[in-house]
Amino acid sequence: MENQKRLPSGEKLYKAFLYLVLGLLALTILVPVGWVFLASIKTDPEFYTNPWNLPVSFYWQNFVSAWNAAQMGQYLINSVMVTAMALGLLLVVALPAAYCLSRFRFRGRRLLNTCFMAGLFINVNYIVVPIFLMLRDGDAFLRGIFGQGFLLNNLFVLAVIYASTALPFTIYLLSGYFSTLPHDYEEAAYLDGASHFKTMVQIMLPMAKPSIITVVLFNFLSFWNEYIIALTICYQSSTLPVGLVNLMQKQNAPGTYGQLYAGLVMVMLPTLLLYICVQKNLTKGMTVGGLKG
Amino acid sequence: MKKILALGLACMMVLGMFAGCAPAGDTQTTIQVAALNSAYGDEMWKAVCEAFTKQTGIQVQLTCEANLEDVISASMQGGDYPDVVHLATGREAGLTEQFINGNMLADLTDVLSMTIPGEDKKVSDKISGGFTETSMTNPYGDGKTYLAPMFYSPCGLFYNAELFKANGWTVPATWDEMWTLGDAALEKGIYLFTYPTAGYYDAFMFALIYSIGGAEFFDDVTNYKEGVWESDNAKKLFEILDKLADYTHPDTPAQANNTDFTQNQLMVMNNSALFMPNGTWIVGEMANAEASLTNDFAWGMTALPAVTEGGAGYSFCWFEQAWIPAGSKNMDAAKQFVAFLYSDTAANLFANTTKADGSKSGAIQPINGVAELLTEDQKMFYSIYDNGAKAAMGGFAAFNAIEGVDVSSTFFEPINSLVSGSITIEQYKATIIANTDLMRANKK
Amino acid sequence: MSCFVKKNIKSNRFITLCTAPAAILFVIFMVIPTLNVFRMSLFKRGAYDTTETFVGFSNFEKLLTDTAFIRSMQNTLLLIVVITIITMSLALIFAGILTREKLKGQSFFRVVFYIPNILSIVVISGIFSAIYKTEGGLLNSIINIFTNLERNILWKGEDMVMVSVIIALVWQALGYYMVMYMASMSAVPQSMYESSGLDGANRVTQFFQITIPMIWTNIRTTLTFFIISTINMAFLLVKAMTDGGPNGASDVVLLYMYDQKNNGVYGYCMAIGVVIFLLSFALSALVNKATERQTLEY
Repeated sequence: MENQKRLPSGEKLYKAFLYLVLGLLALTILVPVGWVFLASIKTDPEFYTNPWNLPVSFYWQNFVSAWNAAQMGQYLINSVMVTAMALGLLLVVALPAAYCLSRFRFRGRRLLNTCFMAGLFINVNYIVVPIFLMLRDGDAFLRGIFGQGFLLNNLFVLAVIYASTALPFTIYLLSGYFSTLPHDYEEAAYLDGASHFKTMVQIMLPMAKPSIITVVLFNFLSFWNEYIIALTICYQSSTLPVGLVNLMQKQNAPGTYGQLYAGLVMVMLPTLLLYICVQKNLTKGMTVGGLKG
Repeated sequence: MKKILALGLACMMVLGMFAGCAPAGDTQTTIQVAALNSAYGDEMWKAVCEAFTKQTGIQVQLTCEANLEDVISASMQGGDYPDVVHLATGREAGLTEQFINGNMLADLTDVLSMTIPGEDKKVSDKISGGFTETSMTNPYGDGKTYLAPMFYSPCGLFYNAELFKANGWTVPATWDEMWTLGDAALEKGIYLFTYPTAGYYDAFMFALIYSIGGAEFFDDVTNYKEGVWESDNAKKLFEILDKLADYTHPDTPAQANNTDFTQNQLMVMNNSALFMPNGTWIVGEMANAEASLTNDFAWGMTALPAVTEGGAGYSFCWFEQAWIPAGSKNMDAAKQFVAFLYSDTAANLFANTTKADGSKSGAIQPINGVAELLTEDQKMFYSIYDNGAKAAMGGFAAFNAIEGVDVSSTFFEPINSLVSGSITIEQYKATIIANTDLMRANKK
Repeated sequence: MSCFVKKNIKSNRFITLCTAPAAILFVIFMVIPTLNVFRMSLFKRGAYDTTETFVGFSNFEKLLTDTAFIRSMQNTLLLIVVITIITMSLALIFAGILTREKLKGQSFFRVVFYIPNILSIVVISGIFSAIYKTEGGLLNSIINIFTNLERNILWKGEDMVMVSVIIALVWQALGYYMVMYMASMSAVPQSMYESSGLDGANRVTQFFQITIPMIWTNIRTTLTFFIISTINMAFLLVKAMTDGGPNGASDVVLLYMYDQKNNGVYGYCMAIGVVIFLLSFALSALVNKATERQTLEY
């Protein structure tokens, strides 16, 4: 019996080799990320010694001074606000649009679908400069009328831009899912006299929950991590990644590695925690997507 | 759906107004002051603004940020100008240059003859000699001052004084001595030279240009005079730059970026390299690193060596500028504020305000009698001109923005390639000649 | 009949209300800026100019002789080609192994490999700055354990900087595509492998003759979008990690565009934008065409 179970030695070697390769690959990811966590509790002079030394003590002061002195606290609040507003707006706008585009036949449907599909090929960083100029000129115009402009350096405008530029991907994902749902439910609802709106909100949206979760997760990651648009149009009191870049490239001022790594932890910790909680949904949702921005 | 939409739109408008509205000012005059938050900290600016309000009754709304360009540039492009801006030329974003190029600065010549608020002296009597005579303050060469000189700091070559003491080396007075020292140091495995980033070559190269050909050569270079790069002076300049690249620590270019430049500064401290060009802020910047050193260390600073035996050594005098945008709506109050910056009160606050970390702010105004405000450390640096070095001042003349061409990528960035050996000095020279031709054609 | 019309009007109103906000936002923040890229490329406009001057194709002519631009294009193309080949082949191989072989800790590997994709590129550049540091960097100090380095490896020096960028970008992208291919590979019916196994086909043959053809549609889509993604990710990483240095050795075309915006030449900046648009469209179309196969059904 035992002999039958045992694998041929070549096979065994092959398996061992696979484990080795996969293990090494996992280490190249876990070690640097773990190292950042350790580095965030080192004191500044420790950064000038061997990088593999373990921290001498838990130096929490790094987080305190990153929060206060480097204003990472303010940046964090801004990031939370922008991400929340952008996600809310995106869902309010994209869900009805995706629903209609996949469930109704109407004039202009093909055109809209084609446009949103084409939008998948436009990366937002290709058009960040004209967006900036548009807002700047808009501010100049508003200043002529109201005495001041409010388009640049406005977290809400930043959220609107995040939501707008995420529309093609989100609508593509959602309408792909909507079109797989059977028509029977809607017809039953209409026969009961429910309006289109009621049908959509009460019947169809709950059914689309899995794909909504996917959309929220993907867009949360991209909004939370984005920095070029924030840097360009919302530079006064910006988001966490922008604050981090400022911290990384600070010249002519006392070097503060500890604050920097504390800042790195503050940016990646929320995404890591969320990922650990929802990693099943995230990787499942990818079968629907197949592309990313 | 309609309701939700209407609600959403209403929210959008309210939020938009909410996020965009600054607290409304009262009837009193309020000026907006925008100042760079650099190594000196923002505490001193707060103190000076308070003192100004106390003196004149004019309210001040202060914006003091490390990335000031980002913070104010877009709103200014949209037509909303601060009344006083403290931001130097020669920074990467080049915002001040854009204002010079666009003729968008208010003429400050009459500020020089104003009486300083709270004192009976005129501004021009207070500012040290020479500071209002260079292209840094009079950018159009018409004798009119558009930028007020602020916080000066001598730039030079920084080294580890303890290392020199231990080896019995003396600081070289000429470039020939420099090369000799370079060879001696290399035998001990120490390279002669390094630099934080290529951008630090500005002050270094300006001082070098002065020591080769004096003010005349400097003016020709900074005004892009035709043929200046083919002159004998230029030949000498290229010769020194080329040789210096050979003596530079080979790790330097790989670390000459915004995130790793402290590693290059560290090389001077841990005896991997002898000299680097830098400014007086380096002491505070590297204070944390000093605690981790295993070797003896003390900062030393010297002017650039002379080109010929008995010639003058030069140290570039770096200073910042404050200016009033022509679009300021409170011109009179803004000018009073600029005049106040040269008062004893302000100078004292700039030099001696306590920062959040307990150290002194240490910004030195270019006014007569400021020596009394210096700390012992600072005296060592600021006494450089008393010890025979001459002061080099000035900067590149302004030009209209050119597609694909700027000062940094023409003069300074290629130094990295020169040190790596991927371009020759001839290629460097060819780039400079081609680009300065364009700069001359686009000169203001 | 009248009831029917009424219902139609109601439907139309509902559809308009649902699609209009998305369409309006899409037009304002994507269509108009995109059209503006093309329009402004024909004009000259400075940072503080309120007017623009029509200059025809002169911005594009200047691009042809701008050596810094040409180098940034070369770097971008190099990154696209090398990163696509490395990432795609590694992702396919690892995905194949993880779905086909019965290995312990499969889901552990899947979870770990995906981590880089959820990190902000700013965080990634911070991590790689620590890795690539010359003196006392994570990588150099590990190499030093195995062989005594006579001289530090200059990961951010002119010779190595592109290699360093490639490593960081592959590290960033690999897990995402691996997990995605795993998802589509697990949909391939087991029976196909079993019958080919009986025919004596080994793992490698199975991989090329069953796995790859069966998920070909998925590979095509990802490949098409991977190009746009790489142009973008390279910019984000380089901007935060090296800012294009030393002396432009790691400059990429989107970063050059961004720098020219800061240089205050908006027309020229947009001309670069046009080139980027055309490049990414052309490459996507090319890849799409080149990978056209008869799709297999199962």
